[in-house]
Amino acid sequence: MPLESNARIAKALAERGYNAEREAITLLAGAADPAAAVAAAVDHAPDEALRITADHVREATAETERSAASPDANGQSPVETEGSAARGAGETDAGSAAATTDGTAVADDRSDASTTETTTTETSTTETTTAETTTAEASSADRSRDPDLRELEVGNDMTGRSTGTGEYGDFVTTFRDRYERLSKILRGRVNHRPAEAIADMPGGSDAAMIGLVNDVRSTKSGHWLVELEDTTGTFPALVMKDKGLADVVDEILMDECIAVEGTLADDAGILFADSLHFPDVPRTHNPGGADRHVQAALISDVHVGSDEFMADAWHAFTDWLHTPEADPVEYLLLAGDMVEGVGVYPDQDEELEIVDIYEQYEVFAEHLKEVPADTEIVMIPGNHDAVRLAEPQPGFNDEIRSIMDVHDARIVSNPATVSVEGVEVLMYHGVSLDEVIAELPEEKASYDEPHKAMYQLLKKRHVAPQFGGHTRVAPEERDYLVMEDVPDVFHTGHVHKLGWGKYHNVLAVNSGCWQAQTDFQKSVNIDPDAGYAPILDLDTLDMTVRKFS
Amino acid sequence: MRPDDERYFAQIEERLDEAWDVAEAAKEQGRDPEPEIEIPVARDMADRVENILGIDGVAERVRDLEGEMSREEAALELVTDFVDGNVGDYDSREGKIEGAVRTAVALLTEGVVAAPIEGIDRVELLENDDGTEFVNVYYAGPIRSAGGTAQALSVLVADYARALLGVDEYKPRDIEVERYAEEIALYDKDTGLQYTPKDKESKFIAKHIPVMLDGEATSDEEVSGFRDLERVDTNSARGGMCLVAAEGIALKAPKIQRYTRNLDEVDWPWLQDLIDGTIGKDGAGDGDGAADDDADEGGEGEGDADDAGSDGEGDSSSADEPAGSVRADPSQKFLRDLIAGRPVFTHPSEAGGFRLRYGRARNHGFATGGVHPATMHIVDDFLAAGTQIKTERPGKAHGVVPVDSIEGPTVRLANGEVRRIDDPEEAKEIRNGIEKVLDLGEYLVNYGEFIENNHPLAPASYAPEWWVQEFEAAGADVAALRDDPHVDLEHPGVDEALSWAREHDCPLHPEYTYLWHDVSVDAFEALADAVAAGDVVEGVLAVERTDPVQDALESLLVEHAATPDALRIPTWRPLARSLGVDDGLRKEWDEADLSDAAREYADGENAIRAVNEVAPFEVRERAPTRIGNRMGRPEKSESRDLSPAVHTLFPINEAGGPQRDVAEAANVMDDTGHRGRHDLEVSDRVCPNCGEHTYAALCPDCETHTEPHYECNDCGTVCEPDEAGRVECPNCEWEVTAATYQEVDVNDAYRSALETVGERESAFEILKGVQGLTSRNKTPEPIEKGVLRAKNGVTSFKDGTVRYDMTDLPVTAVKPEELDVTADHFRELGYETDVDGEPLRHDDQVVELRVQDIVLSDGAAEHMLKTADFVDDLLEQFYGLDRFYEVNERDDLVGELVFGMAPHTSAATVGRVVGFTSAAVGYAHPYFHAAKRRNCDGDEDCVMLLMDGLLNFSKEFLPDQRGGRMDAPLVMSSRIDPSEIDDEAHNVDIVREYPVELYEASRELADPEEVEDLIQIGEDTLGTDDEYHGFDHTHDTTDIAMGPDLSAYKTLGDMMEKMDAQLELARKLRAVDETDVAERVIEYHFLPDIIGNLRAFSRQETRCLDCGEKYRRMPLTGECRECGGRVNLTVHEGSVSKYVDTAIEVAERFGCRPYTKQRLKVLDQSLESIFEDDTNKQSGIADFM
Repeated sequence: MPLESNARIAKALAERGYNAEREAITLLAGAADPAAAVAAAVDHAPDEALRITADHVREATAETERSAASPDANGQSPVETEGSAARGAGETDAGSAAATTDGTAVADDRSDASTTETTTTETSTTETTTAETTTAEASSADRSRDPDLRELEVGNDMTGRSTGTGEYGDFVTTFRDRYERLSKILRGRVNHRPAEAIADMPGGSDAAMIGLVNDVRSTKSGHWLVELEDTTGTFPALVMKDKGLADVVDEILMDECIAVEGTLADDAGILFADSLHFPDVPRTHNPGGADRHVQAALISDVHVGSDEFMADAWHAFTDWLHTPEADPVEYLLLAGDMVEGVGVYPDQDEELEIVDIYEQYEVFAEHLKEVPADTEIVMIPGNHDAVRLAEPQPGFNDEIRSIMDVHDARIVSNPATVSVEGVEVLMYHGVSLDEVIAELPEEKASYDEPHKAMYQLLKKRHVAPQFGGHTRVAPEERDYLVMEDVPDVFHTGHVHKLGWGKYHNVLAVNSGCWQAQTDFQKSVNIDPDAGYAPILDLDTLDMTVRKFS
Repeated sequence: MRPDDERYFAQIEERLDEAWDVAEAAKEQGRDPEPEIEIPVARDMADRVENILGIDGVAERVRDLEGEMSREEAALELVTDFVDGNVGDYDSREGKIEGAVRTAVALLTEGVVAAPIEGIDRVELLENDDGTEFVNVYYAGPIRSAGGTAQALSVLVADYARALLGVDEYKPRDIEVERYAEEIALYDKDTGLQYTPKDKESKFIAKHIPVMLDGEATSDEEVSGFRDLERVDTNSARGGMCLVAAEGIALKAPKIQRYTRNLDEVDWPWLQDLIDGTIGKDGAGDGDGAADDDADEGGEGEGDADDAGSDGEGDSSSADEPAGSVRADPSQKFLRDLIAGRPVFTHPSEAGGFRLRYGRARNHGFATGGVHPATMHIVDDFLAAGTQIKTERPGKAHGVVPVDSIEGPTVRLANGEVRRIDDPEEAKEIRNGIEKVLDLGEYLVNYGEFIENNHPLAPASYAPEWWVQEFEAAGADVAALRDDPHVDLEHPGVDEALSWAREHDCPLHPEYTYLWHDVSVDAFEALADAVAAGDVVEGVLAVERTDPVQDALESLLVEHAATPDALRIPTWRPLARSLGVDDGLRKEWDEADLSDAAREYADGENAIRAVNEVAPFEVRERAPTRIGNRMGRPEKSESRDLSPAVHTLFPINEAGGPQRDVAEAANVMDDTGHRGRHDLEVSDRVCPNCGEHTYAALCPDCETHTEPHYECNDCGTVCEPDEAGRVECPNCEWEVTAATYQEVDVNDAYRSALETVGERESAFEILKGVQGLTSRNKTPEPIEKGVLRAKNGVTSFKDGTVRYDMTDLPVTAVKPEELDVTADHFRELGYETDVDGEPLRHDDQVVELRVQDIVLSDGAAEHMLKTADFVDDLLEQFYGLDRFYEVNERDDLVGELVFGMAPHTSAATVGRVVGFTSAAVGYAHPYFHAAKRRNCDGDEDCVMLLMDGLLNFSKEFLPDQRGGRMDAPLVMSSRIDPSEIDDEAHNVDIVREYPVELYEASRELADPEEVEDLIQIGEDTLGTDDEYHGFDHTHDTTDIAMGPDLSAYKTLGDMMEKMDAQLELARKLRAVDETDVAERVIEYHFLPDIIGNLRAFSRQETRCLDCGEKYRRMPLTGECRECGGRVNLTVHEGSVSKYVDTAIEVAERFGCRPYTKQRLKVLDQSLESIFEDDTNKQSGIADFM
């Protein structure tokens, strides 16, 4: 049996202009002569068909086999499908959450699979015809590759809804919206008074204020001065160094929304802080889950077009997606940087394999075609993509969408929330992580543990709080960067490091990349985690990371 | 010194003394902040050092030491004097160290630059953790101008003084060491260092340095770790400290080590590790490893370029002959950061561009490049005398000077005619008919430039001055031919040239040597056949017009005319002979006669060998080196005005309106009905005679000169300044100034000033004052001076002087005629003979210029005339003395003295006006420019009228802030000592003829040092009787002001117009790739502008339109929190998207790469996405595209 990979079949079909059902591909891969089978299937498919279905294949194979008059090949494919499906399920169950399967293991799996297939075929030739119907039923019932069972909804997508025109008022609206929605979360916890009212309160009274951080300074004597702003004005709070709040002050970023509780000074000019509160994720957060065994692959930073794009790792990943083991992977979430882009940094053209931005997307689309056709795909743009850099970034324009129309992928804005069978996934590319890592002490956020930086964002309930620094803001009628609802999964990329962990029951995943170390990364000593695909169980929120490089 | 020179300096000093006496008499009246002239005269470097520092006794000691030892050694020797108290009047130990350190820096910078006073703030003694004391030197940004060696030596001097005084070494805390490393890296990122030490290196220096380096914050960028240290005042980067540590200690370690070895008291063994470069290499952490890699990569990048070049050389010099000719490697560097509107003239080493010719014209040398004036016109007037160009070699930049004794440009006219233009008038006539500029002509560079830049000699153009030496060597009687009136050795006739080449073993004269190296062997053969097939009609050769033949003739720069089917070549015989075709148009060779070596020479792209195989004489490569260049900044000649302009340094708050109109302020009525009463911050002065308090320098009651009154704001103690001029309250221990708020009757001051000088308000249009004073004591200037300035149409600089800025250009010999003066004027100035020793009789004789004589631009002359009138009015109407200048026309300025003064320096140099030029530049002797610390690569500085400086300059007016004393004449040099100027000027060559060895050496890319002994440079005459004269030149020029007076860059309108002209020129020049220019304009100008503004937009500050309050982020209240006013953005859509459409259009029109076009498109869409409402898009915008 020729070792024809599923991905290659998918590609061969794509070259001829067809998408294909997963089952069809499996059938084709199992054919005695896959190349001929592909040709036959294509011939056989009706002219108007865009998608090769299992039926087409079966009919084509049947025809071929009739003419070839080979009796025992007839029931080969369905049986094989059954075998691999069972195996795949077992494998995933056995796989421990959050364990990295290394490359060799994956390769072994594949050869195992083929041997298994062969034996299965030999032993089960007899039950051919009956098996055919049962398998069909089984695949829809057990393996859930039934699109009807899927639930996918996108929220907070601002694509096509960018109403800002870059006026001063737009900025004010954005920040006011941020304040309104985040202060609501804090209101229950402190007895908030507006800045204006606090200024009128007598010295010595207890007071609390919710506001956006306007300024944080250390004083000469080692205390901190935190200035908060609400819609009535600003008020300073002094955090004494011996209050045990040093740790908290370290975590404060400009323009995030926090609450301060304390006592007014005698002259009522300043608030001595006793406690500080972040909007935060409640510890009681109870994440949702799918009511069946189904998985999502969370990836990002493919960087097609870069000299360093790891095509082999990508092929290994998509090959694996065609294996039975990957059968439950019905969703693919891509958190930005599909391509390397043009003009992202000076003299970038010298490090581009594909210098044309449209060609980059075309090639990316080709690579995406290797993913099983019936996978649901959601993509958001990143800072290398051909959209505005300022956040929120709308999903691509029509020209680029039309290039990436494979698999009916959903292209939404950065950030956006995706509700997948009851699991709320917040997708954000992650540009603000650079800033969080730069601003906060190393133990709280570092490139080696990107998920810890993500915890900070969760705590602030905002994906990019700080204005005026690294992160760019495009003013809109609302602040799309606020996390009004607590997500179950927070998915980012951008920093090219793999890291995941749970914060108050929210799974934070930074998904690595598909680009090997660049010269720039070398110069700043960043060693990227390339070629990993975190696979999330949507029913249990357990995660397995697979390595493909 | 020759008696002649003595007389010259005596003449200058005599006039200076005259002015001095008058000024002294004026100052003595006490109407100015000080009753004496505040610019002391320094006769030599020692004087300058003493005056700039204000430490008595230094000069004498410096003079003693100077004869015995080097300046560096003298600086160290002086330390003992300071410590022992022999020099300087310091009681405290820190004072002694401070004096020694400042003196060392002043000595090493020859007492000209401001670094010793502005770059070193103070020296302190602080306490180590073990209780011992250590020295802390507090540096500031201007230490930069001292240069690395002086910076490093200042540390050594501090340490030596410390050791002698028995103070302990600095024992840094670990956090401080870490802080140094972080801070230096931060400063490098923010501002940039010439040399960036690795973190390891910085820490190593910090750990071992025996005195603490400290300083004031120079930027807003703060360190993120190691903040709020007890012994470090700021969290920001301390620029001065970073410079001293990185560019001083780390970079100049070998130099300092030389001096530490001679001192027993100090021992810096750790320098060896720095020198060995072992720090940061071994045992370096990962972080350093990455940095290493980075550095290596950078190195490789440059190495690659070099390698590529040297490969070429290697091949050509190796045994396999047919590789190609020796060439200097093309370099792209000068094209970096191309600016919109400033054109490229020649792409790197591109055929058709400027051809390198060696020589020094009389208005040339010292970082300048000679360009034919016709070329200046042909490039659409973008070049003018003084325009800066960035060059490919030998240095980075040149000032352009007009030289018409070199070859001009060759152009193709719309009618197909190819013509060389050697006459600027002709260039102006025909320039509208030019279709293509085939060649820009020659580019004159003097040998000294190669020495100065330590650049290997590049192969020389074959020029008459080279040929004639070969001709003579071949046995020709050159002397006889020179005397023959019928022979022109530079431009001989055809017959002569051909017969000389035939009869002597000498190459063909350059006049008829074509650029064979620019045509391929194939083109050469095709041309030979075409010529052989041509006809001679009435002495003109007509050949069939075909593209290859036409291209070849154009590349060769053979002049010809074109008809629809023929190319007519009037001067054809040398061409035919070079092609191996005889006068009867018989081709004397066939294909087989060409050797393989000739065919394959430079891959068949260079026909020079083929020519030499078929021609009956030797033919040299005509122009092997082309010099790439582009326009840098335009020339400058304009008065220096503060913005807004100021007539008088008298404060009027906001009352004068945006114009700062004193009359308006005088008229404002207050609540009590009084006019012109304002609460102003001015100095409190007291009359020593009657005790009256006033802000004026003269007591209103008894007309006695008043003194500043220092009263502590807090405790009321009246304090006295100490010997360094600082005033500190003994109780409160802080600095006390004489500035206080007091009610000033501006109306009265203004009216009485008018009365004093006897002027009416109608004498001037407006009298502008200042909003507030920035000086320490806030001493106002008498309004009278402003009235007279306004009347005469001049304005004041921050120090009270009237200044005029000009681009510097050198000139070593002049003709009275071209300076718009006569031989009589020159004889009066003491000039007796011309350069050949002939008596000076005629206006057109060339005269060697004296070192302190300068030529003013027309604009400067006019401004000086106004200034002279102002000064005379001032003397007469304010001081009641006789007029001094009494000028009527500008000829009267000839012989008058001025100050020359450069930015970042604190010493003025006295110059004497000898004439005027219509070029917008200041021509002067290179030594004069060097004395001011300038070279001529586009630098500019100012002139002031001598008497204006003497009368009106006061240190009291200088801003009380870092750098306030820079650019102020704290001392003047009355005579130039060539040994005490910037030594760059010593590399100007001063010969009449270059030896043939230079040309030969250039063909091998030899080191310029190899022929140094054969060519005299300025350095060779230092310290001899000849140090002031004998500056000969190899090339003459008709007039030093030829070419356009102003660069088109200054006459064209807005940026778009300039850029259109730039791109249009790019299309026209053969040596320029217009697509590359368009790419670069987009890449370096438009894209950074759009991207930068877009980035700025999305993280911008906002500002209140009403009160000016700034907000880091938009206030949630929407309105201003301070005043309730309207807040608005600081970056608007307009400034972000202003260039997008133009950039897209340019990219389209000039066929830029898809990459560039796509970047623009992506940006354009980003802008749309941000600035347009998706839900309310203009319909059909695409229809308009």
